[in-house]
Amino acid sequence: MTDIVRNTQAASTATTASTATTAANTVAAIVPSPFSVVLRWMSRRWQHFILAPLVLLWLSPMIWIVLTSLKTKVEVFDPDAGILPAVLNFANYPATLAVAPFGMYLVNSILVTGSILIAQLVTITLAAYAFARLEFPLKRFLFTLFLLQVMFPIYAIFLTNFVTLRELGLINTLPAMIVPFVASGYGTFMLRQAFRQVPSELSDAARLDGCGHLAILWHVYLPLVQPTLVAFGIISVVTHWNDYMWPLLVTNSDSVRTLPIGLGLLAKSDSGADWTRLMAGTTLVVSPLLLVFVIFQRRFIDSFMHTGVK
Amino acid sequence: MATVTLQNICKSYDKRDVVHDVSLTIEDREFMVLVGPSGCGKSTTLRMVAGLEDITAGQLVIDGVDVTHAAPQKRDIAMVFQSYALYPHMTAYRNMAFGLMKTTKLSKAEIDSRIHEAAEILNINDLLDRRPKELSGGERQRVAIGRALVRQPKVFLFDEPLSNLDAKLRNRMRGELKRLHRELGLTVIYVTHDQIEAMTLGTRVAMMSKGRLQQVGAPMDIYMHPANTFVATFIGSPEMGLIPCKANGTGMLSHTAFQAGIDMGQAGLPDDLILGVRAEEVSLTQGIGMARGRVERTELIGAEALLEVAVGDERITVRGAVAGAPEPGTEVGLDFDLSRVRLFHGKTGHAIDLQVDLQD
Repeated sequence: MTDIVRNTQAASTATTASTATTAANTVAAIVPSPFSVVLRWMSRRWQHFILAPLVLLWLSPMIWIVLTSLKTKVEVFDPDAGILPAVLNFANYPATLAVAPFGMYLVNSILVTGSILIAQLVTITLAAYAFARLEFPLKRFLFTLFLLQVMFPIYAIFLTNFVTLRELGLINTLPAMIVPFVASGYGTFMLRQAFRQVPSELSDAARLDGCGHLAILWHVYLPLVQPTLVAFGIISVVTHWNDYMWPLLVTNSDSVRTLPIGLGLLAKSDSGADWTRLMAGTTLVVSPLLLVFVIFQRRFIDSFMHTGVK
Repeated sequence: MATVTLQNICKSYDKRDVVHDVSLTIEDREFMVLVGPSGCGKSTTLRMVAGLEDITAGQLVIDGVDVTHAAPQKRDIAMVFQSYALYPHMTAYRNMAFGLMKTTKLSKAEIDSRIHEAAEILNINDLLDRRPKELSGGERQRVAIGRALVRQPKVFLFDEPLSNLDAKLRNRMRGELKRLHRELGLTVIYVTHDQIEAMTLGTRVAMMSKGRLQQVGAPMDIYMHPANTFVATFIGSPEMGLIPCKANGTGMLSHTAFQAGIDMGQAGLPDDLILGVRAEEVSLTQGIGMARGRVERTELIGAEALLEVAVGDERITVRGAVAGAPEPGTEVGLDFDLSRVRLFHGKTGHAIDLQVDLQD
């Protein structure tokens, strides 16, 4: 994508240059007025006038968070201080890390989010294949139940989930944050739609090539729905990485808490919110996600373009 | 290579019969074409042979082994699909190797040599590294055939493999398939709705309609002696003209436009008969002719002219010379080639074996 944009830009610059040269050669007296040059540039790049403010709007919270994390406590509440910190003050970061065991929280967050993702990929793949390609009794009814689960607000089942987990003796453990999310109605639905796009002749061919259901799924279906899997992966990871309510409900000791809970501790200090440390903490919490996004940016965008998920 | 025997094969979905009591034997090295209009059950029959559809009733035997309920990969067959069904994420080479890796214990080197052998035959050596997306329709078709060839199966199944190609390429691939069959001595079951493919490719043709087998025989046999009016109109282009007539007790076949005397060699002839006439079995005559007709439409198709002629209420097609082809609206006289025209039962449509003597 970027390559194409770059190429067209290069090409258009070249054209402009050549027209300018020809114009200069033939009618040396007439120089194009600066105004018309600007006008032409604007007419060609008009999208940038819309996109640039939008980019700023989306980036502003992130920029504000990072800038605030570099300020001193006094500076935050000083009406005369500018948006930029007077001195770059990195002291907030070690201070934040000292408040709570963020390293442990990070490990917990990775364990919880990773386990949920892996478990979900297994369950939704199998369920979606069954709904997309197999015939079995009550198929429609069961699928409706799955869809119903998507429409149900998650908060409505918090209590019952909590009771179930307590019965199982899982409260205040890592599995408490994983088990309720190992299946996903949304993911099953999304993947089923993707599977249905795969021509059935391909699975016929695979059957003749000696594949059973699992082999067909592994060798034919999964490679073909990769974009959907990636798109679902992002949604799942972002949701559970940032999840605050449920982990807060089922944990009460440091050893099992996740990063968002750690952030909450900063916000609820007795002396009111500790903004500088809170922002430093937030920067730390979102940076792994940002990093992953930057690395796989192209892949992610392709996936979302492909699946039409917004 | 082997023989395939279908014994009273039936297929029904929810008590709706799709294939009804089909019995057919495909001999070793035979090119059997299943032909019929869409929805006639030919593809379902092929998929039952492949093992992709369950057989509701009947028995399927390949090379002496009952495989009625065997899994597809246990039947030693390979199939080429209408959409080619090449795995989009694999190169042509991987597409061809995949089935071998899954179903056989061949070494990498053996698989490699089989693939190159097939690629040589199909002239696709240069395409092996490409993915299906980077291949043209004809090239995909070759890779799909290659995928079947490397399996070295007992029977090849083709499900309308040429219908996604343009007319010119289809013609070339037809020749290619014919050559492969002849040179490699393959046993083939080939499904198509195109009667030209059936006529040109098949050593034998099995004509199906509404889930039932209508007629099985060599292409020219079916063309010359169709078992009923359905086969008569389906096979052959332009299609056979059918003229309903009455048989009166005196042995005369009567129609509003003509009368013909029948040799009553066979007793119990029905009252209602249908006269079947192919385009090349009628000729225009300068004189009165056996029957009179009016030219409705003239199609000049290069080497010859096809005339649609109304005989009474019926229309038949007549082949004629391009030079001097009559304009639409012209009254013409028609002569029938008496040794070749045929009669069908007016109610059932079944062919009647009879010598006809037409008189004007």
